[in-house]
Amino acid sequence: MIKKIVYGLCLVFLAALFLSPQVYLYLIPKLSDFSSVLLNENTLKAITNTLFVSLTVAACCLLIGLPLAWLLTRTNLPYKSFFRSGFCLPYAIPPFVGAIGWIILANPTSGVLNQWLGLHLNIYSYAGLIWVETSFLFTFVLLTALTVLDQMDSSLEEAARLSGANGLRVFIDIALPLLKPAILSGFLLSFLATAASFGVPALIGGPARIYLMTTQIYTYQRMGTANGLQMSIAVSVILGIATLVLLYGTQLFFSSSKNYTVGGKTSRPSLVPLNGWKKPVTVFLSILLFIIFILPLCGVLLSALSAVQGSWTLSGLTLDNFDRVVFETEETARALRQSLFLGLGSALICTAFAFIFNYFIYRTKWFGRTFASVIASMPFSTPGTVLALAFILSFSRGFFGIGPSLYNTLFLILLAYIVKYMSLSIKTVGDGYQQIHPSLEEAARISGADWWTIMKTIYLPLLKTALIASMFLVFMPVISELTMTILLTGPGLETIGTLIFSLQEYSDMSGGGASVLSIIVVMFILILNFSLKFLSKGRYGL
Amino acid sequence: MSKVVFEKVGKKYLSTWAVKDIDLTIENGEFVSFLGPSGCGKTTTLRMIAGLEENSHGKIYFDSDVVSDPLIKSFMLPEKRNVGMVFQSYAVWPHMNVFDNIAYPLKLKKLKKEQIKADVEKMMSIVELSGLELRKSSELSGGQQQRVALARGLVMKPRILLLDEPLSNLDAKLREKMRKDIRKIQQDLKLTMVYVTHDQKEAFQMSDKVVVMNQGRIEQIGAPADIQKSPISEFVADFIRSGE
Repeated sequence: MIKKIVYGLCLVFLAALFLSPQVYLYLIPKLSDFSSVLLNENTLKAITNTLFVSLTVAACCLLIGLPLAWLLTRTNLPYKSFFRSGFCLPYAIPPFVGAIGWIILANPTSGVLNQWLGLHLNIYSYAGLIWVETSFLFTFVLLTALTVLDQMDSSLEEAARLSGANGLRVFIDIALPLLKPAILSGFLLSFLATAASFGVPALIGGPARIYLMTTQIYTYQRMGTANGLQMSIAVSVILGIATLVLLYGTQLFFSSSKNYTVGGKTSRPSLVPLNGWKKPVTVFLSILLFIIFILPLCGVLLSALSAVQGSWTLSGLTLDNFDRVVFETEETARALRQSLFLGLGSALICTAFAFIFNYFIYRTKWFGRTFASVIASMPFSTPGTVLALAFILSFSRGFFGIGPSLYNTLFLILLAYIVKYMSLSIKTVGDGYQQIHPSLEEAARISGADWWTIMKTIYLPLLKTALIASMFLVFMPVISELTMTILLTGPGLETIGTLIFSLQEYSDMSGGGASVLSIIVVMFILILNFSLKFLSKGRYGL
Repeated sequence: MSKVVFEKVGKKYLSTWAVKDIDLTIENGEFVSFLGPSGCGKTTTLRMIAGLEENSHGKIYFDSDVVSDPLIKSFMLPEKRNVGMVFQSYAVWPHMNVFDNIAYPLKLKKLKKEQIKADVEKMMSIVELSGLELRKSSELSGGQQQRVALARGLVMKPRILLLDEPLSNLDAKLREKMRKDIRKIQQDLKLTMVYVTHDQKEAFQMSDKVVVMNQGRIEQIGAPADIQKSPISEFVADFIRSGE
């Protein structure tokens, strides 16, 4: 009985927060709004820019991610686990930190690389935007392909080698075709992630006057006029619907494509020897890793330690910037406090909900549970900009007119984080549930335990690792979230993400303040990631 | 200990019957085996006694109490039935040690600590596990896990103890010893036991009464000797012969 009530409450929670704000947003615009979007030069340009940049980034991500995944799993490449960890790490780091790093390295007036090496790089360009996006989003392709390759029956490749194919032929003839589903979904994920990104196009595209749909929506929304709002809603709806159609449409279309990889084989694959290529490939990967990951962080570090921004030397480095930003700026303390609160709050609530909700998904056959789990995971792939706008519209006069306005409150930001990142908890805890044999619950019922006692004494302890991992996995992206927060924030509501953004964009361009906070955030996230990896004995974390 | 009565019990999924027209009485203190090939409905029938499955038709009684009657929407939840069960997979909780596994039903009954300790110790000596109280369940052999599951089912002083193919994951030698041990415990404690197996030798060796099932229905009920002497149908005769 209690079980049914709790299930009902879960469904109400999902309908109220996960479904209705988006549906409401999608129902606002009239047809004429869309035609005015398409007739407007700026918005049309933003749409074509988004398509062009996202397609190019997705193609570049495949180009880097696929061969990399194959080298890391199937060849006798040395230092494999080091490379694997290193190339996956950008997944955890907020891309806007990379953008700040590359602005320091390669802005046309005072870029470090331009000054020191006499280059003429200009990061404020299409090429710059595409490069910075790619340097983070190739991890989407890499992680998808690694998962498939880890499970792939290696005898398929061994048979090709015995037939006389060399390493490259094996990759092209066998691995590549078998990876087709992973290639498609990796391509789609990095395409959608580019289209949904905000931080990188705002910081790099802004000065270059290259607007994507997300930055265009932000600009319109900040105008504060009725017309601006109308336009931002219409562009959001186009972006949101396009994402939904692409994501679920392709799933329908490709669901028939066979998956040859699931053999449950855990046999140790024999590795393709790189022979004479071993050294060049290792050197190339080291350089690639340095350029993609280490170099921009070095740029950020240099700026954080330099008293004068713009004329870069290694002498006279100082900690003054840290001192000023961390101890003498009142916004910093407030932003840190609020980000911590939001991080802990959303991690706890997402995990608690996933703990209860997944029980109904995996342990009952109740009506609507499959649909409910789709609804719960959908916001994760909805662009943050669209989600934030839906929340502003649904909650600014109370919840659809009921109760007080939540606009300009920390609580609304918390709700948005919970909705956006719930999918991570549901996935992690759900995998945990699937590992537990149902008889462990039945034995407890027979012993006289009611549902709540079973949740407390059986599932809670058995799922401990998955629940802790779920909290980490929500906490890490939330602590530096920018895309949604920038729209939902208001006076006094700084988070680390919005503070870095505003320091970089307006208030502290000459002081390296954004760099200081970026370094702190990156250190914090890396420490969290490695402690998760350590605590879970390598099961979770990068 | 209780007697269990099935009256025209059936379970229907959509349009197919998992079990149908089960009429059966399990007497107080009796050892009854459900015997049949896989998919014959024996485990479903057992789980209906536990309340882990709901019958869609007919009535089930413990003594004179109705525990399930779908016509009047009466259904006693498994946690209220006071039935012990030993699962095929043992279902020993990996996050608890041996003592806590066995003590779990008693803790839920909110017995005093000393009482729980005394009961658990006594039961552990009956199943020959004394001294392993603090062992983690991951450090136990299959046979030991089996004994933990048995002790956990018995410690609550159940009305009935249900065993779902409990010996199928053990090696032949250990299986032989466990059969004797289980039968001895049943006779010493005068328990009502219901035992599911597809191994006819096991069923005939241990039981007071054997229920042969096929395709969701009961083929024959009787004492082991009677069934062996005069099988009622070709199916029963075949099934007995195939094991020899």
